[in-house]
Amino acid sequence: MRLVLIAVVVGFARIAHADGTLLGDDTWNFKPGNELAIDGGLVVALPAALPAGQALGVGGGFSYGRGLAWGARAEGLTATEGSEFWTVTHRELRLRATGAATTTAGRATIGLRLGLGGNLVHETRTRNQASRLMSDVFETRAIALLPGADLAFVIELHIAGHWLFELAGGPTIDVVASNAHFGWSTELGVAWRP
Amino acid sequence: MASVKSLVAIVALAGGCDSLQNFGGAVPPLVTIDLRVDGALPAGTVAPKVALMWGQAWLTEPLCIIPPDSDSAAAAIAAGCRDAFGFVPDHVGADVDVVPGEPIQISLSSLPAADVLVGDVTARVAYASLVLYDDRDASGTLELSRPHRLGGREDGPPDEQGPDSVDVVLATSFLSMTHPDQRLAYREGAFVTTAYYPRAGCGDPLPGFSIDGAGGFSAADAIAATLGGTLPQEDPATCSQLAPAATTVALVLPGDPDVREIACEERRSDSSIRFREPPEMEPDLTMRTAACTQLASFGAPPAMPQTQFVISGRPDECKGLTHYVLRGCREDANCELPDWDISATPPTWWPCP
Repeated sequence: MRLVLIAVVVGFARIAHADGTLLGDDTWNFKPGNELAIDGGLVVALPAALPAGQALGVGGGFSYGRGLAWGARAEGLTATEGSEFWTVTHRELRLRATGAATTTAGRATIGLRLGLGGNLVHETRTRNQASRLMSDVFETRAIALLPGADLAFVIELHIAGHWLFELAGGPTIDVVASNAHFGWSTELGVAWRP
Repeated sequence: MASVKSLVAIVALAGGCDSLQNFGGAVPPLVTIDLRVDGALPAGTVAPKVALMWGQAWLTEPLCIIPPDSDSAAAAIAAGCRDAFGFVPDHVGADVDVVPGEPIQISLSSLPAADVLVGDVTARVAYASLVLYDDRDASGTLELSRPHRLGGREDGPPDEQGPDSVDVVLATSFLSMTHPDQRLAYREGAFVTTAYYPRAGCGDPLPGFSIDGAGGFSAADAIAATLGGTLPQEDPATCSQLAPAATTVALVLPGDPDVREIACEERRSDSSIRFREPPEMEPDLTMRTAACTQLASFGAPPAMPQTQFVISGRPDECKGLTHYVLRGCREDANCELPDWDISATPPTWWPCP
């Protein structure tokens, strides 16, 4: 066993020596890239229609332009919350057409992004305790497309090469049962600008 | 431009057709039972209601089922022991108003909890009785009472002198296994026949909820079957297992004379007895029946036999017996190290040899 461990350590040491240093002077050099940016990441937001809880999911999109950019985004989110009688799961697909105003400061790109579109919400409600009855008659399903909009403060930071770290967040609004429903949304992810 | 207008129209239409309910909307009951009252409500009934009452697995104390050793003991047992095969309530699960001449439906919005279910998680069952009562205190539910047992000496257990419920039980669908009954059964998983309100000879309860009927067996048959290590058999012709929606439960008036016992809950369910040390002053025996009798046991006779003084409750109270012994512990009159021993100096009123 000792011999195996020694062989592994020595082997790795030789590989490292052969490749040289892991970090070089140009490791953190970045390339501004062109006007297209593609991003994706984790999204945390208030559910579009559920009155409680947090929705978690992933999102991604693209934008085109510098200074003024346009693009599109899609986010898939899920939230499950319970009451005395129901366990409700909302699966949301948030689709947005976006327009953004940005400025560059060193490695960072800072901007405001406005998104307009809709939230496609699929609702599954399970009557609490119904599973003990081995019955699915106590489950309801519904789907709705809710008009929605959001405003996000976006920071993109060039890390290396064409890759950027991205952080975005801001208020959201959508219309549920003819009532405005306010919320918030945040995204933590990476972007790629070729 | 036209396509943008179409998109806006679609979005607006979809938003307008929002059918999401979130946590709102009507809550469907997990079961609904149809009931009817056969017979006229007694004059003076104030607020008739029906309660759905889950049953407790209960075992009577030995003295109440072992043949008495004297006439006075038999009288005390008759006055102080509830039906050994009767339905014993655990708690009330639902209540509904009764409007004469209108259909009665009672619904459950929650399933019985694990403490009511008998069996393991792969096969468990609970039974409920449907009880017609007069809600005299307008509380909206049927309050249960407890037997009133007399107190002991200073270090004895506390009295159980809580106020009785003023609600009046009028009829029930399941009073005793020795009577025909209709009971609500709730079954999870498989069904294993046990001594929990057994219906041996009948079909198994349906999975989930069902209304199960049985014709009842005699107490003598039940005792004989128990001594033989089996369960008393029901007449299959009297059995039924129906989905709740397929039947109507009948509550027949006038109810059995002992029907009020169904609103009496028991402090102990395992046939154990709380013994008491006789007080110095003679207890109030007004309207009570008392007797001296030997200690009774489901097992071997005690190594040190002694006489106990048993006293029934009053006729207008839930049935129960108070057990006084000169020597013993709260849980066991035959304990090796007694909590009290006044056998050499019994109270002056002590009537037993």
